[in-house]
Amino acid sequence: MLRIDLASRVPVYEQIANGLRAELVSGKFSPGEKLPTVRTLAINLGVHHNTVAEAYRQLANEGWLELKRHRGAIIRERDHPEAGPDAMERFTRPLRELVAKGLADGLSPSSLAREMIETARGLEERTAP
Amino acid sequence: MTHQPFEIQVIVAATIGGIVILNAAILWFMPRLTRPDLYFAVTVPPGFPDEPDGKSILRRYRQELLLVSLVALTVFVAGIALLGIGFGPAGPLIQTAAGFMAFYRARNRVLPHAVQPTMIREAELQPYARIIPGGWIAASGPFVLLALCAGYLWIHGSTPARGIIYSLTMTISLVGLTVLLYGLAHWVRPVYSGGPERARELQFRRTVAAVILGAEYYTTIQSSWLLLVPPHQGLISLGLFPFAPIFALVVILVLARLGQGGSGLASTRKSSMPSAPPVGDRTADRYWKLGVFYFNPDDSAIFVEKRFGLGYSLNFARPTTWGIMALLLIAPLVAVLGHVTQLLPKRV
Repeated sequence: MLRIDLASRVPVYEQIANGLRAELVSGKFSPGEKLPTVRTLAINLGVHHNTVAEAYRQLANEGWLELKRHRGAIIRERDHPEAGPDAMERFTRPLRELVAKGLADGLSPSSLAREMIETARGLEERTAP
Repeated sequence: MTHQPFEIQVIVAATIGGIVILNAAILWFMPRLTRPDLYFAVTVPPGFPDEPDGKSILRRYRQELLLVSLVALTVFVAGIALLGIGFGPAGPLIQTAAGFMAFYRARNRVLPHAVQPTMIREAELQPYARIIPGGWIAASGPFVLLALCAGYLWIHGSTPARGIIYSLTMTISLVGLTVLLYGLAHWVRPVYSGGPERARELQFRRTVAAVILGAEYYTTIQSSWLLLVPPHQGLISLGLFPFAPIFALVVILVLARLGQGGSGLASTRKSSMPSAPPVGDRTADRYWKLGVFYFNPDDSAIFVEKRFGLGYSLNFARPTTWGIMALLLIAPLVAVLGHVTQLLPKRV
């Protein structure tokens, strides 16, 4: 299930790419499987098809998808990339914002830490060969 | 002008009168058949229709509707008595126009209570659900019937001009309805993407698809009948026409039981959680022109649920919509032109 919030400050294409990436990382789809076509997903979400196309292009650039005209988006076998110098910074910046939001909403630091560890562990288990 | 036999005039008058009464009944109940967070095509807070303001707006709408329906019925009866059966369609036309005005006035009274619907959208990543009953085999049936009728006319060659006009009109009509059927399966934006709401929504969509398919069969059989059976044969030359109101009534009752998008199937007409923004149909009110025309260039969907009514409306901001409209309008145009050119005196 893909979920977006049109009221969010995060661009819709980025929300779609993030949501799909989360599904792909969790191993719900196998290599060779197809994602819905750009038009179908755009209709189901009620957004412009260019928005979905942009999200698909982003995931294709990251090596998750293979885009073929008239055949839709096919999930690729993806090698684990080497983490670049910017990778940790790209990860921690939104994480800091998210943690700050959680603390501002009244969540305790320990519950946030527990949630993060459980999420990472869950993803690790599902993606383990 | 050719005068129809008396009994046919009576059937036609009774049918049109029945349409006026049926139309009034539909419009009477319609505000309670839409999705729970929508009221007169406006997104409202949960439970608003049951509040005193909501009830007062409904009462006033129904009073106006009753008045315009009585006027339409009186005009219809007086019109056919004085001017003949040709005046008949004026009754439903007056009622539709005045009924819309009553709806529009009620909508304006609801607008001050409007709220923003939820901005959350969800989508399944699974393949399509099966929508068309019988699949494409059932959908190709009317085309086979059309080919059989055209073939019969071709072999007998008794009315070649009528045969060509018939085949052309019917082919365009069937293609138009088939595009609607395809659109219902592939171009509808769902309101819910999971849970029991999704299952009810799919049931509603399948029912609407069955209605369109039924309309295709009805149109093909009725037109073939009119063409193959010689005219002026009394009641038999009417074909399935007298059954049309019964079919319409059954369709309306089935759809009314389901409620818009299947919302009537829920054990209680549950609206959104009181603290959460209402779901409505997940579209902002500003995209609904006059409350009935959906115009949203940022939405790729061609079909969306009607806000006031049962079934689907088109997204008029999409070019495909205008293609569909053209397809649906060409058939009657070809029929009228064909009829007119046949009536014109032949050159010597």
